[in-house]
Amino acid sequence: MPKILTVDDSRAVRMIVSRHASQMGFEVDEAEDGAQGLLKLEDEAFDLVVLDVTMPVLDGPGMLAKMREGGNQTPVLMLTSESKRSIVAGLMKLGISDYILKPFKPEELTAKMLKVLKLDQPPVASAAPASDSPIARDTAPVASHSAESSRPEAGKQFADIFVVDDMENVHKRLRTLLPPHLTIAAAQNGANALAACRERVFRVVLVDSDMPEVNSVALMRQMRLVQPHASFVLLALRSAGDVQAEARSQGFDGAMFKPFNEEGIEDFLMRFFDNQELVTLTENTMKMAAFKGKENRLQNYFTQVGTLAGKNLDDLAAACFAEAVMDISLLPPVNERVVRLVMDLAEHAKRVGVELRLVAGTELGRILSTYEETASLGLFPTVPEAQASVA
Amino acid sequence: MAGDPAPPSKLAAQLEAIIAAKIASDKLVLPSMPAVAAKCLALLRNPAFSFKEASHLVEMDPAMTVQLLRLGNSAAFVARDPAKTVLQVVTRVGVDRLRGFLVESSARKVFQSTDPRIAQANAAVWDHSIAVAVLARDVMAFSTGGDPEYGYMGGLLHDIGKPVVASMLLDAERAVLAARAHAQWITSDEWIGVIRGSHRKVGLALSEKWDLPDPVKRCLKDCEEYDNTDRLSAANVVRFANALAKKCGFQLGPVDQEDNDALVMIGRSLLNLDDELVNRLAANLARAVKEQLT
Repeated sequence: MPKILTVDDSRAVRMIVSRHASQMGFEVDEAEDGAQGLLKLEDEAFDLVVLDVTMPVLDGPGMLAKMREGGNQTPVLMLTSESKRSIVAGLMKLGISDYILKPFKPEELTAKMLKVLKLDQPPVASAAPASDSPIARDTAPVASHSAESSRPEAGKQFADIFVVDDMENVHKRLRTLLPPHLTIAAAQNGANALAACRERVFRVVLVDSDMPEVNSVALMRQMRLVQPHASFVLLALRSAGDVQAEARSQGFDGAMFKPFNEEGIEDFLMRFFDNQELVTLTENTMKMAAFKGKENRLQNYFTQVGTLAGKNLDDLAAACFAEAVMDISLLPPVNERVVRLVMDLAEHAKRVGVELRLVAGTELGRILSTYEETASLGLFPTVPEAQASVA
Repeated sequence: MAGDPAPPSKLAAQLEAIIAAKIASDKLVLPSMPAVAAKCLALLRNPAFSFKEASHLVEMDPAMTVQLLRLGNSAAFVARDPAKTVLQVVTRVGVDRLRGFLVESSARKVFQSTDPRIAQANAAVWDHSIAVAVLARDVMAFSTGGDPEYGYMGGLLHDIGKPVVASMLLDAERAVLAARAHAQWITSDEWIGVIRGSHRKVGLALSEKWDLPDPVKRCLKDCEEYDNTDRLSAANVVRFANALAKKCGFQLGPVDQEDNDALVMIGRSLLNLDDELVNRLAANLARAVKEQLT
């Protein structure tokens, strides 16, 4: 159990630090000035010293200097009301690990103690301080796998979707349209959205294009700073222009139209949540899943498959695979689309230096062999045969 | 401090004293804000202003009109259709951004110079100011709940006294050399010393003349120490952004690294910024500045 020494002439501050550190599962000792602190350090080893600057008898800089002179390299976290830069610069020269300005928030003390001690979380995990969230939280029943799930490694709550829109109804409407296992959080202005992004982790963030007093592009860029792994989607009204292209040029990952319709929701889910199984990759073998859905969604299916397979080819090239097996036997036999997809992927593979082995059923094989552009590609009837050719 | 210029000569000290005396007696000739920008800013202070009136004012300045149309149709603003009129842009960007645009457009003129030496030096100050401005805007948005536009304006203008003093020195040099061709003039180091010694006071005087909002004026007053009594103020945010921008390479001349690191460390705690966010702001800065400059 890490041991902490808090050195401060204020009994109240020592008590706060002690109580907080104990709740986190640390062992704590106290000293009321630098001289007492040095005596404690002579008696036993500590993992961290939380040190004030201004104290009677021997002040913080004095104690720190004597520690370092004596060869004691215990990490020191300064906790002080001193913000004069010359003094802090002097402390940095003496090797402080970090600095907290009084008055401080318990969250800051927690984060900095953990950082200095190189711990991901406190020994007593429940000690992490709760904070009041400024965001509306979805209270709908949710399935177990993602339900407001805690991600201890990040220390932050997770939600699948975050809706930033000044109209409350947007969030409510989405809730009724999306599968119940997807968790949704919402904020209705920029300040709350940014606060939520600092507190939680989101998979997809939907940002309204027209909010009062909010520049949606600037807000998206700021949110990206603290949500680097999230996808950002612009919520826009339908218009004559190419909104998707416009959104992407502004740095969004795409756009979704309001009012929502079944098609838009299906596209959204396929793109960000349900597409993982459309193309699977095992070692250097890719397999395309069969198409399920209405006929008018076919184009979307081929686009998604093409995008995912392209990414897989990039991954294979990055992992130094010179050959890849691509099982396309379950693709719907729609001549032009299949040929176009295969041509695009063959070109992509060539570009990244990967040689393709295609596995196609009888019908797809017949289609591909009738087109000049795809007839020369290596076609195999089964995956094992294609893999054997690689070996 | 590393890189400090040599002690000022008598002439340099006199120049600094003259500037200080002129500020004190309100006789310093400062650049005026362009009339259109000044009128428009005055209009925006009136709660009953109309966007139509504001756009009519902007349209009186063709160069400003072009700049504003470019801003409104830039990637920074989401729009279904391109804005074709100033009125459309003004309603699209909103009051705060319009105010920021007017100040930025006016400030940009202060940084222009026909003298190549001054123009080059001013360009470096402008780049640094843009870096501080974009950082301050983002930090304001994350940490304070205050108006990010004040952070942006404060960052942009925190060094505006520098080009003004540089221009004054150039005028003085020309006057002296015109009177006596072989007269001694101050050295480059002394030139820098006079600017360092005077630019805050001059910047503050300019902010008074331009009637900038109080939170912005406070950003210009002092960039050296944080104000503990108003932790989340725009001025503290600009102090932090100034130090972080320098740490990221957007600096003017040599920087005392330890001193600057101390400012960053204090600011992180003062403004309640976690390391992850600060690192991302720093990593994103070069791209953000490039975007802003184009």
